[in-house]
Amino acid sequence: MNLSGTSGSGWRLPRHELALLGAIVLVFVGTGWLDTNHTYFVNWSESRDIILRNTSLLGIIALGAAVVIIAGGIDLSAGSMVAFSATTCALLLAVFSEVDDKRLVTVPPLGIAVAIGGAMLSGLLVGTLHTWLITSIRLPPFVATLATLVGLRSFARAMCLFVTKERWGSESQQINVNTPFFAWLKEHNVWISTGTFLVLAFVTWLILSRTVLGRHLYALGGNEQAARLSGIRTENVKWFAYCFGSLTAALAGIFLMADSSVAQPGNLARGYELNAIAAAVVGGCSLQGGIGTVTGTVFGALFLRLVIDAVSKLIKASADVYEGMIVGIIVALAVTLTQFGQLAKAGRTLFPGSRGLAAIPTIATFAGLLAMMGAANVEAFRGRTGLLGVVVGGGVLLLLSAIRWTEGRSVS
Amino acid sequence: MTPIIAFRGVGKRFAGVTALSDVTFDLMTGECHAICGENGAGKSTLMKILSGVITKYDGEISVRGRPVAFRGTRDAEVAGIAIIHQELNLVEQLPAAANIFLGREKRTPFGLLDDAAMEREAATLLTDLECPVDPRTPAGVLRVGDQQLLEIAKALSLKSDVLIMDEPTSALTETEVARLDRVIAQLRQRGVTILYISHKMDEVFRLADRITVLRDGRYVKTVDRVATTPREITGWMVGREIANHDFHGARSRGEKVLGVRDLTLPWPEHPRGYRLKNVSLDLHAGEIVGIAGLMGAGRTELLETIFGATEPTWTGTILLDGRPVRFIHPKEACDAGIAMVTEDRKRLGLFPDLDVAANVSLCGLRAALRGGLLSRGREEALVASPIRETAVKSAGPHAAITGLSGGNQQKCIIGRWLLVKPRILLLDDPTRGIDVGAKAELYQLIDRLCREGLAVVVTSSELSELLTLADRILVLAEGRLTAEFSRAEATEQSIMEAATGGQAPR
Repeated sequence: MNLSGTSGSGWRLPRHELALLGAIVLVFVGTGWLDTNHTYFVNWSESRDIILRNTSLLGIIALGAAVVIIAGGIDLSAGSMVAFSATTCALLLAVFSEVDDKRLVTVPPLGIAVAIGGAMLSGLLVGTLHTWLITSIRLPPFVATLATLVGLRSFARAMCLFVTKERWGSESQQINVNTPFFAWLKEHNVWISTGTFLVLAFVTWLILSRTVLGRHLYALGGNEQAARLSGIRTENVKWFAYCFGSLTAALAGIFLMADSSVAQPGNLARGYELNAIAAAVVGGCSLQGGIGTVTGTVFGALFLRLVIDAVSKLIKASADVYEGMIVGIIVALAVTLTQFGQLAKAGRTLFPGSRGLAAIPTIATFAGLLAMMGAANVEAFRGRTGLLGVVVGGGVLLLLSAIRWTEGRSVS
Repeated sequence: MTPIIAFRGVGKRFAGVTALSDVTFDLMTGECHAICGENGAGKSTLMKILSGVITKYDGEISVRGRPVAFRGTRDAEVAGIAIIHQELNLVEQLPAAANIFLGREKRTPFGLLDDAAMEREAATLLTDLECPVDPRTPAGVLRVGDQQLLEIAKALSLKSDVLIMDEPTSALTETEVARLDRVIAQLRQRGVTILYISHKMDEVFRLADRITVLRDGRYVKTVDRVATTPREITGWMVGREIANHDFHGARSRGEKVLGVRDLTLPWPEHPRGYRLKNVSLDLHAGEIVGIAGLMGAGRTELLETIFGATEPTWTGTILLDGRPVRFIHPKEACDAGIAMVTEDRKRLGLFPDLDVAANVSLCGLRAALRGGLLSRGREEALVASPIRETAVKSAGPHAAITGLSGGNQQKCIIGRWLLVKPRILLLDDPTRGIDVGAKAELYQLIDRLCREGLAVVVTSSELSELLTLADRILVLAEGRLTAEFSRAEATEQSIMEAATGGQAPR
């Protein structure tokens, strides 16, 4: 009776996840094959460790982002929250260590427990602050978490200066952590963070799909007014969502601090929040709220990291330069692909009117420049990068012009 | 006189529902022509067609003798037709003058905005309209009455000679209404033809030369004002065949469960100052009380206040089983045994991303837990009984809720509340947008629930519905209770008179 239904989690999400899984396999196999060094075959364990570590770090934060997004909100503060939690953790370690132990080599077990507990507690505090700003002061989530995005990092830096001065008499922008426990965490961090990520993913899945709270999260995100009028305490559900978002970031902060043996609030995890949101969106979470799954988010994080890794392997450039571009392109493509059907149904075209005409050379220029820069790192194109740029740019120009031409014909 | 606009067989269907059919009448040059009809009679649809908002319709419209086919509001403006919507269309942050010239800004020879010229012209227009506001004031700061005149000034600057006014007095104070009357008289002196939409009889009979009545999307008749009476017009507005359901078998009225005394809900930003004023009502188990009233009369606000869904700024007393209660969240009302089915199903009731089972089980989910976790099997078993009881037709519990018809969606929402076993059921216009067959099923369902001892309050914009369902009918007009009828006393005519404030104590 309703096979052609327009929405419903019944069939769409699994299809989305299957497509993602296919894309993951494709990227993985493609990279292994096209990479001239064949790193995936020659040095599999190292590649695996890098991918797993990066994916679980991104994934832990992305799970938090997904829960907030499903509940109809947004949390822009995750990157700063990571820095805040790492700083809190390191500062508590400093407080519990001997005064002359500035490298924090020996900290009693109680100190370590308090430091980790304190870092997680900082997540609860920030989540509660967000909820208060959003539900009582009625700030839009974007504004509330934008404020903490900017504010928390600065707060963490001030905290760092204050504690180092009080404790050691000299201000420092960073705190080194060499406690054996964290060194052990660093040494085994691939398996510990991957394990933590998987357990967290399972718990999140359990909450979202098998508890009353999870159902209320979807209801809140899908229709907040109706949720309230159905007797759901929407404020409390939001409280959970924002605390969960901040807690996952706090957890990632502890791992990141252990990983680098230092808490440096100035630069730690800058921009992580956007990658986490991107992973959730690529995984099928709708920024309108009410739609999204844990499986999708996990796949989304894995896919993003794989593509970033693949590009660094293929063009032998440092990944962090291209990371932003890759994430941007993937997010735009993923959302475009999911909306393609609606685009066609509404009778809209890709390049309408003069705006469309202007967009074609714009996209072609970017594509040409990108090809040129990418080719500079590939041996085969040495000395012919300009030519390649022109060829790719021209090709894109022709292709898009052809699309516009067919669109124009089908309309008239 | 010659017709400036001629409607010939104009009709409009929305997804199979006929909103308007075969409307034929003329609008004469320079007259003030009132359009009257109940909520849903098709007034707004007709005006949207004339102002170019709706572009696909049946039949033909001629302006000054020539057939037209507007492709948008811009075309209608060019043809000299302007509309003042009930919800005003202003950019609140921009100054008054900028609003008047929005999209047609005057420019200096250098291509820059010529604010001085626009402000000068705006000032002249506004002064003519008895609206002495500074053209540099942001539109959002102005009072509603002044905002409305701003829209009229915009229409005049467009050289419109047909002005559609959609219930223009609904948010005005008495002095503002008097000023609007003078403005209308002035406009008519300038030769502007006015199409005045209202269901307030006093205004219609004060302003209009001729009156056209619409009912259920159909044209009833056009009469000269001097040849008719308010009573006759209200009669034509409601005079449809009443669907004859027979629920007269004895419902047994039980204990009093709900008492509302002198409920007043303030509305600070509105000139009236209140949404509800001194409303009292009683409700017994096994009884259906109907609330009649036009749009904006306060029906929804009354139910929402009882249900704890409004800001808790109300005064008065609400007694549940004789004990005063003051709910500040729907959850509290819910726990006390009150359920509410909201008016706007799509906006306030449905969860479009959840399937049928999840939509129904939402309020009673705890019963579907096994060991603290939701069990799919238990949830299906849980929703089976309300789905059966309300006779929802769907492809199964995991079908998409958005694929169901309006009537089946509404049954799902009623089923959702049956799960929490309420003692009081508040139904806010439960059959809005639902086809006739499903309506009859809903009536039977509501009647059966009532017989099982539920106390029901039902509002409706259709009077026949209240006459079919309710044991008693209360009438609200502009936030006040203006009449109470038993089923035997009530007629559509008498209810309509009380709802339009025609003969009610004010």
